[in-house]
Amino acid sequence: MENGQSVWTSIRFWRRSAAWVTGFASALLILLTFDTMGQIKMGTDEDLQKGITKRVPAPTVINHHIDYKYSKKRGHEVPVIGDKEPFFGKEWSPKEARALLHKGKLTVQAKNCINCHTILGNGAYYAPDLTKSWLDPKWKQLMAMTNSKTKEEAMAKFLQHPEKYPTHARRMPNLKITPEEAQAVVAFLKHLSTIDTNGFPRGFSKGVKEFEAGGTYAH
Amino acid sequence: MLFEPFTDVVPSFWGWLNQGPLTLTIFLHTVIILPMFWIYFQEKKRLGKK
Repeated sequence: MENGQSVWTSIRFWRRSAAWVTGFASALLILLTFDTMGQIKMGTDEDLQKGITKRVPAPTVINHHIDYKYSKKRGHEVPVIGDKEPFFGKEWSPKEARALLHKGKLTVQAKNCINCHTILGNGAYYAPDLTKSWLDPKWKQLMAMTNSKTKEEAMAKFLQHPEKYPTHARRMPNLKITPEEAQAVVAFLKHLSTIDTNGFPRGFSKGVKEFEAGGTYAH
Repeated sequence: MLFEPFTDVVPSFWGWLNQGPLTLTIFLHTVIILPMFWIYFQEKKRLGKK
């Protein structure tokens, strides 16, 4: 430049560049936040009946059989909502299911499950990941151990007296969960397993296959 | 792969953009870096006039 001043040493240039990058990044983050909010919005009972797939299905999903299948298109497992099946011997209305899940959530928070377990990536790995725990084949063993006819019954019994049913090298303490709370927590865990988490936790099915083949089952 | 089929549960423009890491990189570099060239040449012109 004739006067010897370079753009690279101009404070105004750097100020404008910084303002542009910061401003753009802020706008992008706001847009992405709204996009995420739309994606994680809970579906309705109507969606379930019409077979509309939502990342987070309605609470009444607890009235359905839940499967976890590998999707070739997506390259990981996805929850598959199947036919209706009774949950604790009955079909739960949208209002009842919502209240039950709410109670389950409050119990999970009050008992601080994530102090040892992980839920949707939040928590610890001292105890097994709970994100897909409803689909764990180990509950079949628990059904025999607790003398229960259904998986939900076995889970509820285990939650109330975990010290009675040692299934893991690390033992879960008795958290004095009431029968109602246990039922609610099981509903919460069942709903949790229906959330499409893009295959998280990775390798869950691999562990299941190893377990079914009689191998070790480390989460 | 640079472009992969959209497999997200809920279709969205941002979801589509984030499918592969490279698509996001190219997009962000395009929209952030290109206007900076414009800022640069504007400042250069302004300094030249002084």
